[in-house]
Amino acid sequence: MEQKESPIALGTENVGKLLMQYAIPAIIAMTASSLYNITDSVFIGHGVGALAISGLALTFPLMNLAAAFGSLVGVGAATLMSVRLGQKDYDTANKILGNVFILNIILGLSYTVVVLSFLDPILYFFGASPATLPYAHQYMEVILLGNVVTHMYLGLNALLRSTGRPQKAMYATLCSVLINVVLNPLFIFVFKWGIQGSAFATVISQTVMLVWQINIFSDKSSFIYLKKGTFRLQRKIVVDSLSIGLAPFLMNAASCVIVVIINQGLIHHGGDLAVGAYGIVNRVVFLFVMISMGFNQGMQPIAGYNFGAGQYDRVTEVLKKTVLMATCVMTLGFGIGELFPHAVASVFTTDKKLIDLAADGLRIILIFFPIVGFQMVTSNFFQSIGMAGKAIFLSMTRQLLFLLPCLLILPQVFGVEGVWYSMPTADLASSIVSAIMIISQYRKFKQMAIA
Amino acid sequence: MSMMNDKFVISIGRQLGSGGHLIGEKLASQMGIALYDKELIQIASKESGLGKQFFEKVDEKASHSFIGGLLGLRTNIGNEIYVNNYLCNETFFKIQSDVIRKLSDERSCVFVGRCADYILRDNPRCVNIFITADKEDRVKRVARDLQLSDEKAAEKIEKMDKKRAEYYNFYSNKVWGVAGSYHLCVNSSVLGIDETVTFIRGFIDKKLGLPEHR
Repeated sequence: MEQKESPIALGTENVGKLLMQYAIPAIIAMTASSLYNITDSVFIGHGVGALAISGLALTFPLMNLAAAFGSLVGVGAATLMSVRLGQKDYDTANKILGNVFILNIILGLSYTVVVLSFLDPILYFFGASPATLPYAHQYMEVILLGNVVTHMYLGLNALLRSTGRPQKAMYATLCSVLINVVLNPLFIFVFKWGIQGSAFATVISQTVMLVWQINIFSDKSSFIYLKKGTFRLQRKIVVDSLSIGLAPFLMNAASCVIVVIINQGLIHHGGDLAVGAYGIVNRVVFLFVMISMGFNQGMQPIAGYNFGAGQYDRVTEVLKKTVLMATCVMTLGFGIGELFPHAVASVFTTDKKLIDLAADGLRIILIFFPIVGFQMVTSNFFQSIGMAGKAIFLSMTRQLLFLLPCLLILPQVFGVEGVWYSMPTADLASSIVSAIMIISQYRKFKQMAIA
Repeated sequence: MSMMNDKFVISIGRQLGSGGHLIGEKLASQMGIALYDKELIQIASKESGLGKQFFEKVDEKASHSFIGGLLGLRTNIGNEIYVNNYLCNETFFKIQSDVIRKLSDERSCVFVGRCADYILRDNPRCVNIFITADKEDRVKRVARDLQLSDEKAAEKIEKMDKKRAEYYNFYSNKVWGVAGSYHLCVNSSVLGIDETVTFIRGFIDKKLGLPEHR
């Protein structure tokens, strides 16, 4: 039910065709969520002002952390769900759905209560100044009040996917982007709600789609629906799904810490607008990273199955094709960013100073983008062939082994430029490590293919 | 469909060293049906085209421990999409359970371990049995079969029981080794292996309405 293709096709069908077939839905979903963030920033930048973009950037770690809590429940639930559906155990699957529903409400509400009570101290710690705090506070206030909706919306979307309705999940994502794009200018330019207008647009678009999802999950004629009596939390379901979700939660939480350190470095050495510049650069970079990530996800089942089946030539082929596609995407980003950095930045703001800062930052961050695609694919590749230890090591080397020390040391010497240069430095270093690991793996494949 | 009604399945859960596998073997040969234990790995590997070594690695192992979760790395940063990691324990469990269902559709047989009782829970002609034994007997049997010292055997027993319980509890939604999870639980130390087989045989015949043997 959860597999689109029979395993045999993964082992025989044309690799390039398979890759596109698996990657395109992932790319659409990834790009959509990236566009979501971009539209918010664009309307806030033009409708509210340059400092509002800085305020928005200060909220990134809090948004990441909320997403991390989402994955704490979501990933485990999706895993448990696919196990039960594989066994046609609809009884337990329904209980999982009911439990996840309640867990998301509890976690969503707790996050709102805790963060809202300490919102200002948290934002100051994240690098807010008296000038940017009001924007970050106003935005976060609305987002936090709608946090339960966001949690349930993302949680149910993951469950739509794992219950064999990936196309419905995609509609939900695309529709929420669309509603967000329509409401954002309405609230900001017509109703003059400022930065809160954008937050309301986000929450309302997710609420609308949540209602639609609940409607789907209330259909009693389907195997899995929100059934009376499934909402009482069961220890086993809660413990199992949380313990599966703990690892992805920690990975997401780690990336949240990194963003905090980046923002702190920027505010300390460059001031409020430097944070805003990072907000813009982050949105741009994310778009290309997400598209590459889509290719990675398309690669996973193909590389995984063929590695398992011992067809190493096909494993190598899909790896090469994915690296090629990811490199093209990242190089495109590199080209656009290096050639027209000011044009890209001015999509988000009209403030001359902010445009200059963002353009400079963009140019620095993108330096090694043509090889970053390769680095991302390698880490995902090791994951998909079951060598999760190597995958973890690679993603940890970039974030913790290279980026973290760079962020702590370089700004001391080079000031705000040091923060910017930390990122390409970590990219280059981790790409070298990836290259060494993948080359030695490639040699092993060659030997195994001969044997 | 009438053919199907003649077929039956015996699922045997067992503590390490309880003689469960041996009892399964004797039941199978007395009733003239096939027994599947480790053989399932071979068949699952052949059916799916995936290497045997992958099934061996995850055989009767749950995957939800924290370290397992961390090393299983099911998701990427930026978690919009649930990543289908093909080579994960859940995939192997699914393939193996499909094999168990297919085999039980084709013929009468005995399955040892691997949550067969849960996988075949909708099959009315599946008899679920769990075999235990006294601690001393288990240690003795494991020490003899695996050529271990008594201490090492006791350690191994503790480790395997924990592993099997985690696996069973994760996949089956029931509790391993608890009477309520099975139709019949027997301590093989009480009657000895052969008498236990005869006893179980009587239970199976009654449950399935088979003609009493001898």
